[in-house]
Amino acid sequence: MIEGIVRFGNALLTFLNPWDLFNVLWSTQLGIIVGMLPGLTATMGVALMTTLTYKMAPENAVLILMCMYIGAIYGGSRSAILLNIPGTPANAATCLDGHPLAMQGKAGEAIGLATTGSFLGSLFGILMLAFFTPLIGTIALKFESFEFFWLCVFGIIICGNLTAPKDPLKGWIAGFFGLFIAMIGMEGMHAYARFSFGSVEISGGIALIPSMVGVFGFSEILMIMKQPKLELIDSRIDRVFPQISDLLRYWRTILRSGVIGTIIGAIPGVGEDIAAWVSYDFARRSSKEKEKFGKGSKEGLLAAETGNNACVPGAMIPVLSLAVPGSAPAAVLLAAMFIHGVRPGPLIMIEFPDFIYQVVAMTLLATVAMFILGLSMVRLLVKVLTIPREKMMPFVFVLCTIGSYAISSRMFDVYVMVVFGIIGYYMRVMEYPVAPTVLGIILGDLLDKNLRRALVLTDGAIIPFFTRPISLVLILFIVLTIVGRMKSFRRGVSVAGKELKGIFRRRSY
Amino acid sequence: MQDRNMPKADFVAAIGLTLFGLAVLVRSFEMPRFESLGVNPYSVPGIVPGLLGVIFMILGLILLLRSVNKKGYKLGLDATAVKAYLLDDSTKRFLISLFLCVVYGIFVLRRLAYPIATGLFVFFFIFIFEFRPRKSMASQKRTVLTALLEAVLVSGGVTLVFRYLFLVDLP
Repeated sequence: MIEGIVRFGNALLTFLNPWDLFNVLWSTQLGIIVGMLPGLTATMGVALMTTLTYKMAPENAVLILMCMYIGAIYGGSRSAILLNIPGTPANAATCLDGHPLAMQGKAGEAIGLATTGSFLGSLFGILMLAFFTPLIGTIALKFESFEFFWLCVFGIIICGNLTAPKDPLKGWIAGFFGLFIAMIGMEGMHAYARFSFGSVEISGGIALIPSMVGVFGFSEILMIMKQPKLELIDSRIDRVFPQISDLLRYWRTILRSGVIGTIIGAIPGVGEDIAAWVSYDFARRSSKEKEKFGKGSKEGLLAAETGNNACVPGAMIPVLSLAVPGSAPAAVLLAAMFIHGVRPGPLIMIEFPDFIYQVVAMTLLATVAMFILGLSMVRLLVKVLTIPREKMMPFVFVLCTIGSYAISSRMFDVYVMVVFGIIGYYMRVMEYPVAPTVLGIILGDLLDKNLRRALVLTDGAIIPFFTRPISLVLILFIVLTIVGRMKSFRRGVSVAGKELKGIFRRRSY
Repeated sequence: MQDRNMPKADFVAAIGLTLFGLAVLVRSFEMPRFESLGVNPYSVPGIVPGLLGVIFMILGLILLLRSVNKKGYKLGLDATAVKAYLLDDSTKRFLISLFLCVVYGIFVLRRLAYPIATGLFVFFFIFIFEFRPRKSMASQKRTVLTALLEAVLVSGGVTLVFRYLFLVDLP
């Protein structure tokens, strides 16, 4: 504990120099602008920024990416409040109460509450990040091939389940499709090029950054260009600082949303949008002012914004301890860390013990910068929202193209980005979530190697996959996730619950 | 997509997914097993793709059964529906954006110098979406000039930043 605090203090001190602080400020501000603009998501911002920072030192690059991530998730609340269009998918729940507040002439207050909620959510997540990452890292040291295989399956199943609440089958299809994409190209055990059909380019595999820029960036451009024109509401922005009484009145909601956001962040592949929705839903159910939800409830706005920003540090917990991303932007961050030679995962506590605390310090700096910048220059920045999409989107596509190309200087990566953009567009139209696909692309190699390694160890026997304690826990979660979505199972649970209640009632007579 | 069309889309996707799973399974059986090299049979490259092929087929069949239950097989495609879809304003905007981006990313970028290709893409993107053919050219000078200015700024800015600051060998 004390050692952790000392390491965190040292990490924070190394970043407290003019150059790093300057980087924190501009990248967080850029993140806020990226998040504000509908069509530019946090994932895309982090992916494009990865290409801009890949020649920097690892600490500086990851610092800038963290600032971009936190800034963008927060920045999306601006367009949610003022346009009723979430700047990033993470801010969809913010629209429900943020926009009605703006319509009532309280846009400034709504922005202030969103900023404070995001700040408190991030702070709570940072505490969890600092506490749980070393703990999970220690447990992860006990992971062998069997556990890694089940972890990958669990990631795909839970991510598919939560990102496609209407139809988990589509989420699972999307996840397994991602695993298949990861199979393309040279495999890691015998260097055989799978599904390359003789192409040298394809045998190199499908790189993560171009495919992510495609499914999150290019497909978003197509979606935005398809939609009708957006109208900015004319709301006066006066008081931005929130009232302390509001924060004190809703402290339970803030704390609950912080816990929910962090836990959802830590679940593989399930990102900020789900965190915000679940936080919002819990807040509404337990609120004393249920009738205000959807009509400009400050509590609802705080719940959504606290939840989505708490998710950011939460999503970094599995990135650092297991090398499994907790959200889509965290997946890009993971890829960026690999590009910079930092290898997160179970061995991080041995190979790079200080890096965890550096990430905690980076997240804290980004959060403080977000809070300061979020409460200043509000009126000026809102003008960015008036840029028409016809002028913004070609610039965004140029960045998508050069961003995909720059890392390996291969035109093939641009083609990958375009193809994945089209695939991503049709997946969205047909209600297949894209996050499980991205998670699948990341986990594919891990699953492939560990399944084969485990089969070699057991000489083809399958029983050992089901007899180890950690594997059993993961299998239990997988089975519960799948059957939990079956109507017959839910009906059975509800009947059993009623029976139990009946038994207890009879006993009390 | 409208909810009533979803079973139809699911029906087509399910058939595609099942066939895709079958193709992946067949291809994974054809992958080498390196017996002559004495490779452990449980480490051959086709294991995981084969497993994925089977999973795709199972998920595809579940999706197929569900869409058939919802009468998704009644595709009901007719010329009027297709025409209405193509004439819809949002479809037009989508198709134009897709066309411009694909032409730039796949064809123009490798044939023309980067700044020229990028400048042309930005200019035409703005011009096509903002120019109104029914209005006179004189009244739309500002639109054309803005498109031109943004094209020069974006192509010049991105070229300079990536070539000289990030030292990227541009396409």
